[in-house]
Amino acid sequence: MKSLVAIALLGVLAMAQDAPSRSVWDGVYTQEQAQRGQPLYNQHCMACHGGSLTGGEQAPPLAGGEFLANWNGLTVGDLFDRIRTSMPLNNPQSLNRETNAAILSYILSVNRFPTGSAELPSRSEVLKLIRLEAERLSAK
Amino acid sequence: MFREMSKAGFVAGLLTMAVGLSAQVRFKDTEWPTHGADLAGSRYRPLDQINASNFNKLEIAWHFRTESIGNRPEFKLEGTPLMINGVLYATAGSRRAAIALDAATGELLWVHGEREGARGAAAPRQLSGRGLAYWTDGKEERVLYVTPGYRLICLDAKTGGLVKSFGKDGVVDLKLDDDQTIALIDGEIGLQSAPIVAKDTIIIGAAFREGMTAKSMHNNKGYVRGFDVRTGKRLWIFHTIPMKGEPGYDTWEKGSAEYTGNTGVWTQVTVDEQLGLVYLPVESPTGDYYGGHRPGNNLYGESLVCVDLKTGQRKWFYQLVHHPLWDMDISSAPLLADINVNGVAIKAVAQPTKQGLLYVFDRVTGKPVWPIEERPVEKGDVEGEWYAPTQPFPTKPPPYSRNGVTPDILVDFTPAIHDQAMTIAAKYKLGPIFTPPTASKASGLLATLTLGTAGGGSNWWGASYDPETHTVFASASNASLTPIGLVRSPKEVSDMNFILGTDGQEVRIARGPGENAGADAAPVPRTAVPPPAPGNPLNVQGLPLVKPPYGTLSAINLDKGEITWQVAHGETPDAIRNHPLLKGMNLPRTGQTGGVVTAVTKTLVLAGDPQVTTTADHPRGAMLRAYDKLTGKEVGAVYMPAQQSGGIMTYMVNGKQYIVVAVSGGAYSGEYIAYSLPSAD
Repeated sequence: MKSLVAIALLGVLAMAQDAPSRSVWDGVYTQEQAQRGQPLYNQHCMACHGGSLTGGEQAPPLAGGEFLANWNGLTVGDLFDRIRTSMPLNNPQSLNRETNAAILSYILSVNRFPTGSAELPSRSEVLKLIRLEAERLSAK
Repeated sequence: MFREMSKAGFVAGLLTMAVGLSAQVRFKDTEWPTHGADLAGSRYRPLDQINASNFNKLEIAWHFRTESIGNRPEFKLEGTPLMINGVLYATAGSRRAAIALDAATGELLWVHGEREGARGAAAPRQLSGRGLAYWTDGKEERVLYVTPGYRLICLDAKTGGLVKSFGKDGVVDLKLDDDQTIALIDGEIGLQSAPIVAKDTIIIGAAFREGMTAKSMHNNKGYVRGFDVRTGKRLWIFHTIPMKGEPGYDTWEKGSAEYTGNTGVWTQVTVDEQLGLVYLPVESPTGDYYGGHRPGNNLYGESLVCVDLKTGQRKWFYQLVHHPLWDMDISSAPLLADINVNGVAIKAVAQPTKQGLLYVFDRVTGKPVWPIEERPVEKGDVEGEWYAPTQPFPTKPPPYSRNGVTPDILVDFTPAIHDQAMTIAAKYKLGPIFTPPTASKASGLLATLTLGTAGGGSNWWGASYDPETHTVFASASNASLTPIGLVRSPKEVSDMNFILGTDGQEVRIARGPGENAGADAAPVPRTAVPPPAPGNPLNVQGLPLVKPPYGTLSAINLDKGEITWQVAHGETPDAIRNHPLLKGMNLPRTGQTGGVVTAVTKTLVLAGDPQVTTTADHPRGAMLRAYDKLTGKEVGAVYMPAQQSGGIMTYMVNGKQYIVVAVSGGAYSGEYIAYSLPSAD
């Protein structure tokens, strides 16, 4: 079943590589996933990025205007890969994809993007189909 | 090929010496031979091929991606390269390698990295650092830098090979011979700034993990040392926390000088070679926000200290903040400026700060150029804290960025937005500079809301100085709000009585990038997960809590002590420009939170945007801007694929002027980009 979904999603990828059809405003993670992500965030990320995701003296914020400005126009996959390849900074690539996806869900929830009925996937190429938009560009 | 070029460079060097100088080799003003362009920290070069008339024609001459230097990409490239004799030297990559590039083409000539294993992993300040130093006696050429693991490396600038006669096989272990015992593998000390070399003396400071939440009142001390550039031998040491019997020891009451640490010089140092004087900007002592374990004024915490270049002996000092409680540090290079005030020539030193105050002294005597008044300041009520009754206030120049939070600076795009900001701010203590930290109470005030503290004003990027017009150009963050609330520290977190935190929320140690992996073995709390964070609590629906401008660029004339011009620096962020609540409003450019390294030429001040934007004029990216240095008018802007995250510098090679800027951030890994004018022009 899972592989069928993956194949279907890959099909979408092939069709719409340049223009992801979904954005973070379309309910791309679940509340339960974000709740799962919160303790993981606290465990792996909070020391540098702060309890409210406001960043530290050296680490950038993961919530609010500066964070959204930093990632606006990219995709959730870009952010996922940045986390996956370089975080946590003192032990990069030590977290598995599901953990990273849960943490990312939590970050999306703190930034007040709406929840949905399906979990945020954990594969970069699929996540690259979801646009990161600071503001909802068009009413849906 | 490279050998031939080196020969040519060597001949050029000899010619320079012939028209040049006495004992020291004089560099050409088309080169950029130190981190700050010169030992005075000016970041100025009198070049004018790139000017207002053609800035917009700039194109990328070459670019160098740093992600293959080291074991993983780095997204925080902060270095400023050097350029001497057609070769560009820089630090790069996650391992902080030294690289040499052909300054005209960007071709990699050599790379030198050090694999430091557990010692590197335990380092408090990792990643590529801010740069390196170059030295020559006209014959030998050397490149010097400090690794994350706090070892001073000396390389042959021609080959990148270790200079075996320096230290032990080209390396001085900086954790040794420091008048204190520091564990070689995991002893907390490092340095991310570039060394400086003056009259054959290398000057090295020290940095630690971030001090917001100190694990202990005990820590290593950040002494400053001078080393012989030929041998690596230690020449002198300056105790930034005085030892027993040294002047200033009594400013640490109850024997607190014995165990308090930090108080290092983690940022750039400047030197007046003619006077033989070194200017040291010293940071905060252990515990950025709680000083109850270090009663007294705490010299030389947050002091500008002038020492002798040959001996390290103290000449004069001025403490900018008594008994530091706000993480103001002194975070950037002092600027040496020969000015003229009311007809009197003064050899001055000007110190930009996070608190947006420019402190100006006679650099020979240490006497303030304009009076600095000791004024009474508010005393706080955190249990066990010691409060300095007064703090120094410069009477000139005026503050160039915000250093306090008052209701009149809260966001007010609409009355409704202002009302919401007032509601948020009501949970915090507000006040001017030096308003003391607050004991956090969930039922009362959560913290003191501050600007011009940890992340404000001029942080490490500092400022530049134009010796033609006697003007300082300072990029400043104007909206980096830092709530400073203190809570009792759980014993398993810290042995300090109070620590940064919010009442009702779990206290955790805050960390800097990649620091101290050894500390990661700390048990992971399984209980007491704080309630879901309410988004960024210091935002009003995504809008910063304070008004624009969020970031500024200021020109401050040092003959008059006045701000000549000030502009908002940085495109209006997307989240502001596209905000639904601001639809239809015609906002002037807001500038961006954060600051950047600047550079000055014959006519221009150069500064890139610190954040990326996507506008109708350009795709996602950031702009590198040129301002008329006399008026502040923007005279040109070119596109960068990512924000300026590090240095900017300029030089000329083969008759062509280049501007090199370090960019990175978000998903864009570190890159040095060189701009020049099209050849056809």
